[in-house]
Amino acid sequence: MKKLAKLERTSAHVVLIIAAILALIPVYWMIRSALATNTDIFDPHFHPWLVDFDWRNFAQAWSSQPFPIFFLNSIASSFLIVLCQLVTSTLAAYSLVFVEYRGKSVVFFCILLAMMVPMQATFIPIYSMLSSVHLINTYGALVLPFVGSAFGIFLLRQGFASIPKEMIRAARIDGASEYRILWSIVLPNAKPALITLALLNFVYHYNDLFWPLVATNTTNMRVVPVALTYFLNQDAGEGLQWNHMMDAAIFAVLPVIILFLFGQRYFVRGVAGTSIKG
Amino acid sequence: MAQNIEDVVADSASAGRVVPRRLPRIASRKKTAIAGFVLMAPSLVFIGLFVMVPIVYVVYLSLYKSNLLTPHPKFVFLQNYVQLFSDVDFLGSLKNSALLSGGMLFLSLPIGCLLAALLNMRLKGTKFYRTVFFAPYVLPLVGSGLVFTLLLDKDNGLVNHVLALVGVPPINWLGSSHTALISVMLVSLWQYSGYYMLIFLAGLQNIPQSLVEACQVDGGGRLKSFIHVTLPNLTPTIFFCAVVCIIQSFQAFDQVYVMTDGGPNNASSTLTYYIFHKGFQMYDIGSSAAASVILLILLSILSLIQIRLGRRWVVEES
Repeated sequence: MKKLAKLERTSAHVVLIIAAILALIPVYWMIRSALATNTDIFDPHFHPWLVDFDWRNFAQAWSSQPFPIFFLNSIASSFLIVLCQLVTSTLAAYSLVFVEYRGKSVVFFCILLAMMVPMQATFIPIYSMLSSVHLINTYGALVLPFVGSAFGIFLLRQGFASIPKEMIRAARIDGASEYRILWSIVLPNAKPALITLALLNFVYHYNDLFWPLVATNTTNMRVVPVALTYFLNQDAGEGLQWNHMMDAAIFAVLPVIILFLFGQRYFVRGVAGTSIKG
Repeated sequence: MAQNIEDVVADSASAGRVVPRRLPRIASRKKTAIAGFVLMAPSLVFIGLFVMVPIVYVVYLSLYKSNLLTPHPKFVFLQNYVQLFSDVDFLGSLKNSALLSGGMLFLSLPIGCLLAALLNMRLKGTKFYRTVFFAPYVLPLVGSGLVFTLLLDKDNGLVNHVLALVGVPPINWLGSSHTALISVMLVSLWQYSGYYMLIFLAGLQNIPQSLVEACQVDGGGRLKSFIHVTLPNLTPTIFFCAVVCIIQSFQAFDQVYVMTDGGPNNASSTLTYYIFHKGFQMYDIGSSAAASVILLILLSILSLIQIRLGRRWVVEES
């Protein structure tokens, strides 16, 4: 009996290790290619490790494009989106959980439906609306469409719902204003949900390619994902500088990886939580 | 913005309070209703403006022929839709989206489920494995698309080098119409399997361990208890993952844009890529809008299924 359990555990480990290696290969390959000389990348003799390291790659790639601007655009616009969403979603979720009124279920149903509408299906109207007020190629275009977030409301609603209603009732009887209840009872108790929303959304919008691709058209407004695709298109004629492209990809990935390692349990909570309580 | 919000909260502060019994009930209800909507207002305004209005607008656009060059769109009623369904490229994109969804459904869900089952054994290093499998989900698809382009390169890619070791001739992964969609799927598989793993893990951990143990005490082996206890309790999770997987696959864009540009010969163009290509690159607004409407119809059907499932799930839990 005990032997069998051991065998089971060993085989489980074997499967997991193989899966982990498969999952890590693209990451390894990204780093390898980022450090390789361009001749090494296209060496017909196959060697999975590196013969020649070229640390200067990073510096060359960094200086080949105005990355500080891309990062500033990406981080600033994602940060603004998150900030706005935290405010609008908090208010809406508070209304859905703690205020009684008719028509609430209709509102909530609309929010659930809105959650599924992808930008790709509505980008033409949004583009023409924003261009009619001359906001295309500005931070306004990058941020405004995402100020209200159905997903944000949904996620915070889950977090708020776990706060005991008695606490709110007691505070109301004691004469606390709604503002006070929100600020000193709900928000402190919902901190994990707020952090989860902030991290998930920051990463989502930092990674977003589609809308920035459509909404911006000059280098000074370009965000990191769009900048990466420009690498691809620009060098097309003269042979791609794959090592520099991988350097750029590493630049792009680093902020996300750092956030992920810091806030892993919030990401996990966000992903698992939306499914369990759906 | 911030000032505005504070005003809103301050306004609703007096209105939202549960009013002492001596006041008429109707008045208090009215007041809380106002408070409720005032708090919803910022979200409703922005969601209305950037989700609801565009939906109506895109339906309107789909009934007109227009490009950005001619100022006056021409009303053509359903002609765009008729054209769409005789357009080989559109039908191909629709088919590719369906194939991608199907492939993801039958590959990434089982992989996710298997990994979750293994991690649920609480082995050493579980946390490490979980991090490694889930991490790809947070990476920008543009970045992973680029790495996979390199990995799948015909002459110098790692994949073909490894295949050569077992005698397989080099495959033109991205350049052949037979394999381009498979290449796109590989990235999606790498990126999303860990996400499903996490949802399955949450589902598994919600199953009372006592049930599984009871089955094993009654003489069922691991496999038997998995089939008779775990799987039935996991069906809501499976359905949830299936719907999310299809929705996600129908939205696939970044991978396609970076890796294949929909090519060769539209072999890897997805529905969202078609919409983007028609609208943003060809300025054929009518066709693009009509394709958008079809995507929206497909997604809302899926969403309704998901909402219904969600309701069932909640009932089962309580």
